[in-house]
Amino acid sequence: MMIPDRSEYLKGLAQTGQKIMGVLPALYPRELLWAFDIHAAEIWDPPGEILHANAHLQTTICPIVKKSLEFILKDPDIINAGYLFPHTCDSLQNLGTQVKDLIGVSLPVYTFYNPKGSFNNTTIKYYRDILQNFQLTLETIYRPLDPEKLLTACELSHKIDSHLLAIHQARMTNHLSLSNEEYFKLMRAQEYLLPADYLNLLEQVDILDQPGESLKTRLMVSGILPPTSKILEFLDELGVSIVADDLLAGSRRIPKFSMDAPSSPIDYLTDRFFVLPPCSTRGGDLDERMHHISTRMKDSRAQGMLFDMVKFCEPELFDHRLLVKTLREKSIPVLTLETELEHHISGQDKTRIEAFTELLFDMVST
Amino acid sequence: MSIRAELKYKIMKDYGAPAVMAFQDFKRRKPRPVPEAFGPPLETNKRLKEILSRHYFLSRYVPGVKKVAWVTSGAPVELLRAFDFYTIYPENHSALVGAKKQGADYCGIAERSGFSQDLCSYARIDLGHMLSGKTPAGKLPKPDLLFCSNNICQTVLYWYKAIAHELNIPLIHFDAPFVTTEQTEADINYMAQQLQDMIPILERVSGRVFYQNIFEDILKRSMETSKTWGAILDAMKAQPAPMTIFDAFGHLAPIVSLRGLPVAQDYYHILMEEVDARVSMGIGAISDERYRLIWDNIAIWYKVRFLATFFAERKMNFVTATYTNAWAETTGYLDVKDPWISMAKTYGQIILNNNLKHRLDLMKKMIKTYSVDGMVMHSTRSCKPYSVGQFDLRKAITADLDLPAVILDADIADERVWSEQQIHTRLEAFCETLEGSKFG
Amino acid sequence: MAEFYFAGVDVGSLSTDVSIIDDSGKVLSEIVIPTSVNGSEAAEAAFDSALKLTNLSRDGITAITATGYGRASVAFATGKTTEISCHGVGAHQLFPKTGTVIDIGGQDSKVIQIDSRGRMLDFTMNDKCAAGTGRFLEVMANRLELDLDELSSSKNIQGESAPISSTCTVFAESEVISLLAKNTPREEIVHGLQRSIVNRIWSMVTSIGIEGEVTLTGGVAHNKGLVALLEEKLGLTLNIPENPQTVGALGGAHIARRAYHISLESGTN
Repeated sequence: MMIPDRSEYLKGLAQTGQKIMGVLPALYPRELLWAFDIHAAEIWDPPGEILHANAHLQTTICPIVKKSLEFILKDPDIINAGYLFPHTCDSLQNLGTQVKDLIGVSLPVYTFYNPKGSFNNTTIKYYRDILQNFQLTLETIYRPLDPEKLLTACELSHKIDSHLLAIHQARMTNHLSLSNEEYFKLMRAQEYLLPADYLNLLEQVDILDQPGESLKTRLMVSGILPPTSKILEFLDELGVSIVADDLLAGSRRIPKFSMDAPSSPIDYLTDRFFVLPPCSTRGGDLDERMHHISTRMKDSRAQGMLFDMVKFCEPELFDHRLLVKTLREKSIPVLTLETELEHHISGQDKTRIEAFTELLFDMVST
Repeated sequence: MSIRAELKYKIMKDYGAPAVMAFQDFKRRKPRPVPEAFGPPLETNKRLKEILSRHYFLSRYVPGVKKVAWVTSGAPVELLRAFDFYTIYPENHSALVGAKKQGADYCGIAERSGFSQDLCSYARIDLGHMLSGKTPAGKLPKPDLLFCSNNICQTVLYWYKAIAHELNIPLIHFDAPFVTTEQTEADINYMAQQLQDMIPILERVSGRVFYQNIFEDILKRSMETSKTWGAILDAMKAQPAPMTIFDAFGHLAPIVSLRGLPVAQDYYHILMEEVDARVSMGIGAISDERYRLIWDNIAIWYKVRFLATFFAERKMNFVTATYTNAWAETTGYLDVKDPWISMAKTYGQIILNNNLKHRLDLMKKMIKTYSVDGMVMHSTRSCKPYSVGQFDLRKAITADLDLPAVILDADIADERVWSEQQIHTRLEAFCETLEGSKFG
Repeated sequence: MAEFYFAGVDVGSLSTDVSIIDDSGKVLSEIVIPTSVNGSEAAEAAFDSALKLTNLSRDGITAITATGYGRASVAFATGKTTEISCHGVGAHQLFPKTGTVIDIGGQDSKVIQIDSRGRMLDFTMNDKCAAGTGRFLEVMANRLELDLDELSSSKNIQGESAPISSTCTVFAESEVISLLAKNTPREEIVHGLQRSIVNRIWSMVTSIGIEGEVTLTGGVAHNKGLVALLEEKLGLTLNIPENPQTVGALGGAHIARRAYHISLESGTN
């Protein structure tokens, strides 16, 4: 399985004249962009040091926001169709208007509001309205929407979802022979591959008929992004497998169950938004989120939970307390790491992770 | 609702509270001496203390008489008032804790229970209060209902969810889509519909029926009160300004937490009268006002006195603030003939739910109309919607208006976030620039 | 009769500690030397010094556990375990009723919960900011122009304490500077610093909960004033080992011993 390098791939794509929009985390109707032949390249943790962004943002702002701004300030060639700021949290909300109204970029800046709280019919109706408004916005800039194209985009999205669901299931039941690093590289490739290329990649994934060699230590991970590749590598070294995830950049963006194939695109897109797993950034019910996580832990027979928290991420940090408390009450070991998306792994974090595996191992052996 | 509890509440309201207030007043006979740099203090300060103490005092006798709701500062409280909820404003309470320099204690309680130190200090203080029952206000009644709106921040949604979970009580959330350019029809309809959807829930929790005419009266009162508040702030355009913004931070409490009630309406008439009188007599809040400043962001509650004195001694007066203005800015949209839509417009467009271009324009306008010479921005660790973007706002304002400005890194209520040395140096440098720019 | 001996080597950021035990668990020698730049050299030197106190040679040691932040650099070790597990086991050996271990080390402080057999149940470590660690005291001692020993000997817990509320080293340093500028007595500042660390540790302890007896390990356990304040805050008496710095090394030696016996039983050796 060959996964193309993110920046190489996007560079190549931009050279072919492909329209590419830079999209910030996390939830947005990608299918609408596809229907306008716009490729969505997601910006979560672009590489490079934070330098210029420090002139625009305080030290107490989360690294995802800062790194994204650093990337935007470079005015990269690969982004040629504008930036999209979905409404995810207070900081990204403000960054969107800061970039658009104060800093100013040469490309158009779009926003997309994601409703918050517990959902009901009023929310569903509103979500349909904002989908349509977004469509209108794109139509005024590009051309009238071709309904066939939107349907095709939804079908493609549906196929990708089905594959991802199957792969997740396989991961949980040890029917996938991928290291932590390989697995998350595969998951994250959807952030930049064209949907057809991504589907092609997913189709090549080998799902085993029989469970693989029994795993030494099984963990579930929760947070915004998967642990950095250095940490994943280290976990691989220690023989710790991440068998399930509750990540915003991971399973929280895949419907909880497999949906019927799309017939009416707007209905499909609306339904899809409302069957995504519970997520802090949408502000849903805490019990529902806890229940979802417990089920995943049970299904994957995870022995412990690793919370990988992005520093200063309010949505995650608020929910974190209750999730930890509940898991501890069930005697499930919990480890929390704090990341600023650095490219190395600190000695302290190594000690934490190793001590945590010693703890899990002790629990198994006694 | 027990008759005994109701009787007790009535007695306390009519006789108990005034007696306690009079006693406290007696205890406080000897007023703190006013530093020379300040003008005569506002008479209305006394009335403010009275109504706030009374509100907290009476809240002890409320259980069993009225249903209690905890409400966020930007929530459309008029709707709750139609069901006669006794409202408590945790933000207001957290500010009180902060002003008493006890913020770190309460934050500590929340932190030890697992809430991160990086979370909003208003939230941590409130959660610390909820987990421990501690409060400098005597005793606060447990809520029957939580009511929040993300028109001030998404944080309140997480914070109130945590309370709802802990106390197992209903939470009503009013989702206010952020205004990136202008409110769309879909946004307005969505908000208006949510308000109407709340009625059956509020009827169930309160055990009362919704009457449109009662609601309209409340709305009218709220509009009128906000207008008076706006007029009081406008009066600060006078030179010298009759109040400082630090006074206004205090006098803000009723418009935030008692909005829609007669007590708040009456209160601002009294304040208005005094402020008008001071303007006509040329009485200033500081004895010699040479420089006029604008404040951006929420107050640094644990340093209000320090800052007020620091600036007054340098003949500098804060005459306007984006913060105090927030409860006057959008009430013009309210309309009893079209309550739901007009509330959607009012509550959807408040400063923190509006884009930064709107904020920049508003600040520029305030700087011009209030004859402002310099700007102090409080960059607060706790509040992302207020603080993300401040660096560029400052750049735009200083460039366009050639206005000296300084940014202070601090916090609204966690006194641990304060670097004395650093702040002093910055403030002094700012004052030097300001003095140089005006007369240099 | 063949004799077996085991060693633990704890390469910490400030000191390198070695403990050697016999098969009955009796401590034969313990040593503490400063960790200079090179962790592996410090480990060699400390190990040799510890051996000198016994009449054993390197070959006489059956198994050696390396621990501490430099654990990977100990070439002669037969196994490595984190200092968190080691402190748990070490504290259990010294005070068998220990349920909670507080270790205030140079780079980080941790609270470890252990069961009645010394096995780790849960742990927490300070966050990235160094406030609440040995390093914090060192920085502050420099600022006050005191050496660490002077800072440690101040144990006047009843006296006035200057308010130092910041939880971050950088902010706290700025607070200390302004206190000095106001001519606050150094004794009060020291007292304020100790309080600030104790509050920090107390927060960590409460977040994980106290079980059983509480044992304090790490060099900071020598700081009498701090210990007294911590006891007052927690409302209990702490177990203080005679050599609080070598508890991790001792735990390492016991882990080496346990691992050796398990491998004998399972016949893999």
